[in-house]
Amino acid sequence: MAQRILYLASLRLNNNMKVAFKTLGCRLNQYETDALAAQFKGNGYEVSEKEEGADVVVVNTCTVTNQSNQKSRYVISHAGRINPDAKMVITGCMAESHANQLQKKFPQATVINNKGKSGIFHSVDSLVKTGNAELSGEDYDLFSYQSFTEMFHTRSLIKIQDGCDNFCTFCIIPFVRGRAISRPVEQVLENVRDVVAKGAKEIVLTGVNISRYEYEGVKFSGLVDKILNLEGDFRVRISSIEPDRFDDHFFTLIGHPKLAPHLHLCLQSGSERILLQMRRMYTVKDYLNIVERVRKVDPASNFTTDIIVGFPGETEEEFEETMSIAREVGFGHMHIFKYSVRQGTRAERMPNHIPDKVKTERSKRMHELAEELTAAYRAPFDNTEQRILVEKWKDGVASGYNDYFVPMEFASDNKKRNRFEVVKARVKDFE
Amino acid sequence: MQKRSFNLHKITDKRDLTDSTFVLRMERNGLEFLPGQHIQVGPPNGIHTREYSIYNAPSDDYLEILVREVENGLVTPALKKLVAGDSVVINDAVGYFTIEEAVKQKKTFLFVASGTGISPFHSFVKSYPGLDYRLIHGIKFAEEAYEKEAYKPSRYAACTSQDEGGDFHGRVTGWLEQNPVNSDTLCYLCGNCDMIYDVYDILEKQGVKSSDIFTEVYF
Repeated sequence: MAQRILYLASLRLNNNMKVAFKTLGCRLNQYETDALAAQFKGNGYEVSEKEEGADVVVVNTCTVTNQSNQKSRYVISHAGRINPDAKMVITGCMAESHANQLQKKFPQATVINNKGKSGIFHSVDSLVKTGNAELSGEDYDLFSYQSFTEMFHTRSLIKIQDGCDNFCTFCIIPFVRGRAISRPVEQVLENVRDVVAKGAKEIVLTGVNISRYEYEGVKFSGLVDKILNLEGDFRVRISSIEPDRFDDHFFTLIGHPKLAPHLHLCLQSGSERILLQMRRMYTVKDYLNIVERVRKVDPASNFTTDIIVGFPGETEEEFEETMSIAREVGFGHMHIFKYSVRQGTRAERMPNHIPDKVKTERSKRMHELAEELTAAYRAPFDNTEQRILVEKWKDGVASGYNDYFVPMEFASDNKKRNRFEVVKARVKDFE
Repeated sequence: MQKRSFNLHKITDKRDLTDSTFVLRMERNGLEFLPGQHIQVGPPNGIHTREYSIYNAPSDDYLEILVREVENGLVTPALKKLVAGDSVVINDAVGYFTIEEAVKQKKTFLFVASGTGISPFHSFVKSYPGLDYRLIHGIKFAEEAYEKEAYKPSRYAACTSQDEGGDFHGRVTGWLEQNPVNSDTLCYLCGNCDMIYDVYDILEKQGVKSSDIFTEVYF
């Protein structure tokens, strides 16, 4: 409890207090930051993604890889250098896995673990008002974040699930996010109705392991179906999803006019043996089958993915198998991670860890392939008419993503963002 | 957020099955589980734990795990030294290697295990009377057919690779090649990675759909 008490006695007690948010890692973290920021904003605080001039800086950390830890530490240090007078609140998955280490390195900061994250507003606000920042029991609810639109993202993230019970051998997330839990269906639907009523045009379903969504008999596909049938002019995007629980019902939803034809479907490896060693719950064949069934409905469907290179024991041939599957799918984008040991996971104890030099070399080759595949996937969209959700406008050019999650831009005098425009557009940064 | 937390469970019994393999029975202490799920178990006061599929049925008022001692291991030699009255740390059960829904649909099952990978199948058989199954157990020697009396002889086949004391002399892959399965069988594989990899291939060649094959890897 001690680490979840904020010491903000020296803060200015007026309505112009400014809270800055720095976010690392996944969409779920982005959602949680956006929701917290909306809560602060709704209560009269100024919010920003820049730490300059902030009274409080909240860093929402990530620990999925060693690099994530390094980035998290860097962002905290950097914010402290830029604005040494601001009170620092460190939360997120690294605050869960490395609480003591972070507290030691940043003794002035307040470290709040994931279960206290949704109570950060109450902690800061109640301390300001009453001098007591202890979290109440209800702050432990993982779904008690308020709904919001247009905070730091135009797309409206909706949390449907938290935690993971898969325990993949490389992954630290089940240890820092806890057991899998699904948000009640009606809460999700209410959240969507609310943000759509407030003007949201794109709903992004997010969670740690959303394919395992299940609440009182309603599975993921059932939930998506209900969301798609809500009234309003919006599209639904499914964020990162595991390919291990797709039912026939899901495939009947492909092609629905409100469902964005894009899946971020985590592959991790194209080698059946490595997938088994990772304790993934699907095979390469299962993965390709999903791709095939989706593309049967819409051949242009975009598949993006996560890949781990250099998992313990990965041979050159197995790495090549992943390259080969990537080519076969034609990924629109790939997040490539060099395998990094996470303490306490099963893979930590596996033999034949790959030297960093080899991992770096494989990562480089995979990145080169990813660039090539991204360009190839996006090319046919260039100079075509697309429905674009405008997220930015600068110097007469509006930009945003089309339904397929291809970044596009077009000349426009209309500076308004968060609007659909069907227009002939160029693929952004396309050469 | 519900995190997995470790609790102390007292050992109430220990059954030695071979020189290196034993069953630890522990107090249940209200731990909920589904047949096929696993728990992490470790000696008290230690920082190391290992995952074990639960060996018994949810209707029992105790927990059991099947353990094979790993030479120079960090956990299993310590577990082997424990006796009734000692305690272990256990966290809550997790995992999706379960058959509850399929049992309700009265499906036919093939269970393929290697070594102590028989553990979840022992739990299935104890949990669901009347289960329509065939259990193929890959072991080196006949003495490793752990508590085979729990299974009807007509449903169990010990495949022994290094003696002829089993029901089939050879690996489980050999048994499967000689005894093809019906393509509508639900196949559950538990054990080492190589076994699963090889058996998966055979089952697919025999017409079993990938969506009807479920795996639990033991390391």
